[in-house]
Amino acid sequence: MVEIIFIAPFVTGAIAFFIPKEAGRPLLVLTGIAHLLLSLFLWIFQPEPLFPGYFAVTPEGLLSLIVISLLFFLISIYTTGYLDVADIRSENIFIGSMLLFLSTMTMVTLSDHIMVLWIAIEATTLASTPLIYTHRSQKSLEATWKYVLVCSVGIAMALLGSVLITLAMDVGNVDAPLSFSGLTGVAKDLDPVWLKAAFVFILVGYGTKMGLTPMHTWLPDAHSEAPSPASALLSGVLLNCAYLGIFKTHKVMYAAGLGDFSSTILMVFGLMSILAAATFILRQTEYKRLLAYSSIENMGIIAFGTGIGGLGVYGAILCLIHHSLIKSSLFLTSGNILLGYGSHLIEDTGSLIRRMPRTFVAFFGGFVGISGFPPFGIFLGEFFIITAAFRAGHYVWAGIFILTLCVVFAGFANHAMRISFGGAGETAQMEEKPAMFWPQYALLLTSLLLCFWIPDSLYQMIFNAVSAVGGGF
Amino acid sequence: MIHPLDTVLSLVLLSVLFSFGSSRLPGLIKVLAFQGVVISVAPLFIGHDLSAGGVVLTLATLMIRGIIIPLCIYLAIKKVAIRREVEPIIGFHASVLAGLILIVAATFVSRKFNVPSVSGISGSTLILPTAITLLVGGMFLLMARRNAIAMVLGYIMMENGIYLVGTTFSVRAHHIVEFGILLDVLAGVMIMAVILQNIKKTFDDVDTARLRTLKE
Repeated sequence: MVEIIFIAPFVTGAIAFFIPKEAGRPLLVLTGIAHLLLSLFLWIFQPEPLFPGYFAVTPEGLLSLIVISLLFFLISIYTTGYLDVADIRSENIFIGSMLLFLSTMTMVTLSDHIMVLWIAIEATTLASTPLIYTHRSQKSLEATWKYVLVCSVGIAMALLGSVLITLAMDVGNVDAPLSFSGLTGVAKDLDPVWLKAAFVFILVGYGTKMGLTPMHTWLPDAHSEAPSPASALLSGVLLNCAYLGIFKTHKVMYAAGLGDFSSTILMVFGLMSILAAATFILRQTEYKRLLAYSSIENMGIIAFGTGIGGLGVYGAILCLIHHSLIKSSLFLTSGNILLGYGSHLIEDTGSLIRRMPRTFVAFFGGFVGISGFPPFGIFLGEFFIITAAFRAGHYVWAGIFILTLCVVFAGFANHAMRISFGGAGETAQMEEKPAMFWPQYALLLTSLLLCFWIPDSLYQMIFNAVSAVGGGF
Repeated sequence: MIHPLDTVLSLVLLSVLFSFGSSRLPGLIKVLAFQGVVISVAPLFIGHDLSAGGVVLTLATLMIRGIIIPLCIYLAIKKVAIRREVEPIIGFHASVLAGLILIVAATFVSRKFNVPSVSGISGSTLILPTAITLLVGGMFLLMARRNAIAMVLGYIMMENGIYLVGTTFSVRAHHIVEFGILLDVLAGVMIMAVILQNIKKTFDDVDTARLRTLKE
């Protein structure tokens, strides 16, 4: 009965469209709690799915699932506070889409059949579109249009890649179920030429959704125009879902003995993303776009680490988990800043430490975490990736990687200092309600806790996931 | 002897050329509807064993690709921007010439691929060239037209190309999965149609040159 975990939010999401406003918010939080409990149940017992050909409980899927659950629960609490203050006209559509979005993302983490994974990832695009258009402004309309068109066309590439995998099976005379777990065992018999082509198309397709340069163009617009809880979901979990698709295909490539091919491509795209993000972060004028480009940078780091292999994959998964926790907290915080100052521009903000002290703590904590200061997990992840790069003898790659990280850090720090301490920012304050800063604190504390103490089951889960692509110590 | 499938696919190739040359939106939508119909009946000419599920799926594809999707877009523009030019970035004559070059290049390239030998399509030489033409042609419409509706039609053309590869070469995917893909595409086009209406309402036009405020 694994499937109930994505059917339940689907049902409550459909209900949310039709019930009165007051009932929507409790429904959101209740679904969040139920989803978290179900995820924990799955994590502990790992039951068999009802349709084994289509769905499977895998280590990498469980990792993403538990992150999604925790994030959604905390974001739903924030949303109850946010909806009181923010001006959102169609609350029913907003809450319903949030729940449908949760349902489709959960389906991604459990998909095993190659086509079902594609269906689920395309469904995440469709479910999240109304979220981006919530504000109904010209800018949000443009962002929504870009999001739907760029992602749909990109994901069509991934569908072509998935079809090419079936060609690789036909040419190689492989008779196995068309699922990732089924293919890993027989990967050596697949036709290498078609399989390589399939990987390239799937990387371009899901890479569009993940925000890898040069397919990232939708990401900053969508993240900056969506309401903050939606931005937090997009950045914290949607990008992970797309990464999951690439990771699973990389696993098949590795099993087929083509790991070098896919690793090199992942490293090139990863490094390109970090470089592009660095240039845009330096001269960014809006803080939500700044966070969005930082997401592109982190996705680049994750792709790069996965490509490096060995310890690097372990580092990449660490980055993935910590990026989700920290970046979604930062996006929630950016919602407070937007409500407090009423502007997207960095130059209109300032003196956050005096105007909104509690929001400041969340913002500055998030900044310290995301830019890779030593106690936080991103630092550990990046450190592992750099070590792995040196071990594998990629000195030039590692050099460029470290240099770009320094540039990103300098750019980000400059803007963060401006927001926190600089300028006057004499605009009206917002009342800081508990529901609007405790979720961020919880996310940051979870991330901090995971730096010092990783539960044994979590460690085992990460280790099982990365060992399939040659990761580990 | 010409394989019956090739006769059908040559119609698809023609429809690509027509779509490159058409300057008015209603005409373009009709060409795409025709293309959708031909693409969805193409599997019937292969001679895979047809199960009841296969027939139902073909009919559903025909309904959705040939009728519902074009109708959806037609209704979206009917109220707002009918009889509008497609606002080309690359002119129509140049586009048709590009289409011809594309077909020749696709035929040339597809000889180099090692395709699986599925029974029923062994005599057909046009499958891969047509698929490549549809994919690249859809891309071309996306990039060479500023009109938002023409861009959606380009996306549909790409989807047609992928569907052709998926149904002719491989018989692996289960019907339920194929149906899921079809529903996703349908929902995507419907959402695009809704956004198109909103773009028209907000900007009083569907020219994407006006959607240029978000940068960097």
